[in-house]
Amino acid sequence: MNTELKITPQLTTDRSAERYDDIRELLPDPDHPSPLVRVNRVAADICLYLKLEWLNPFGSIKDRAAAYLLDGLQTRGELADRELVEASSGNTGIALAALAALDGIKLTVTIPDGVPEEKKVVLRMLGAEVWETPDSLCPVDHPKDGAIALARSLAASENGARYVMPDQYENPDNVRAHYETTGPEIWRQTEGRVRAFFAGFGTCGTITGVGRYLKEQDPTIKIVGVEPQKGHRLPGLKSFVESNQPGILDWSVIDDVVQVDDEPAYNTTKRLWREEGLMVGPSTGAIVHAASGYDLVPDEIAVGVSPDSGLKYTSYFAQLLGGDGMPRI
Amino acid sequence: MTTQINVTETLDVSGVLCPLPVYKAALALKRMEPGQVLELVCTDPGSLEDIPAMARQRGDTLLKTDNRGGTQVFWIEKGTDL
Repeated sequence: MNTELKITPQLTTDRSAERYDDIRELLPDPDHPSPLVRVNRVAADICLYLKLEWLNPFGSIKDRAAAYLLDGLQTRGELADRELVEASSGNTGIALAALAALDGIKLTVTIPDGVPEEKKVVLRMLGAEVWETPDSLCPVDHPKDGAIALARSLAASENGARYVMPDQYENPDNVRAHYETTGPEIWRQTEGRVRAFFAGFGTCGTITGVGRYLKEQDPTIKIVGVEPQKGHRLPGLKSFVESNQPGILDWSVIDDVVQVDDEPAYNTTKRLWREEGLMVGPSTGAIVHAASGYDLVPDEIAVGVSPDSGLKYTSYFAQLLGGDGMPRI
Repeated sequence: MTTQINVTETLDVSGVLCPLPVYKAALALKRMEPGQVLELVCTDPGSLEDIPAMARQRGDTLLKTDNRGGTQVFWIEKGTDL
């Protein structure tokens, strides 16, 4: 018997055939961008495109930042044999967990309480340890953002010998990810005709990186930040009334800020599902709502980020829909 | 006359900075039964105020504190879960 016949012929990555040797090869870049899709009904009066970041391999826009953060640590030799710890409202943690798992690195994620159960389960499925914490963790003179403070104290514990924190809020690699990939992708996909860009304030890596790139191409492109209200329920977004401004935020590339309440954000999210077939998360609803009400020239191209899918927020949506889900007979 | 404190669990978070001592203490208390006592050993200066405030907020009773030259020891009796 010829044992060689049992050996599967070796195939290598062929992007034209959508065949890959490794999941990481599906991370987007300007030659293989995430899709840009027109919002035809919910934003019928303007020419708004959404960048569907939830089609990235680990399910969100944070795939880009996580890949750059981990690569930066490894390239600079800062990881050594340490474990990772990161504060995340879920998506950076998920992308980091997947990437860390591929390299056999242990990850602890500190997460604000109130993050949907779905995200916590996804993190645990990927092997991450999840430390959930309220923002007001220290009762006296507490810092804002308890999850960030907790991750930093973990990173500083044991003289820094056990953990290293990528720190997406302060690490320029987060901005670089969007400056080198998301920004150029949008520029190419719109054939240089993008006139306005909308993104939420979270870590601010997206708005700073994309904003910087687009402003370098054309300083008249409008960069608009979307900010939720204090006490909001829009995971991934931050209100600077209750959260510290990330160190990587560069106000010089931002022209305007639109504040969005939870209710219109969730209502717009529902419309995107029901009228566009776009199964997006609530932050996308906030961004589309902000763009829809903004003073845009109707036939000029605007681009909004759709950071992640709504499938990680079904427990939130169940509350939004109300009732018991039974058919009316 | 001194009252004997029956310690159920000791947690040493020496060398750990805020907010980790509060987080770990709250986690330990969450696992314990009402009436059980946590002995908490800290070196973080912020814990001097944070641990008593945390106990108050949680409805636990701070039975005693002891300063041992840079090390602070707290004895906390778990109250009824909120």
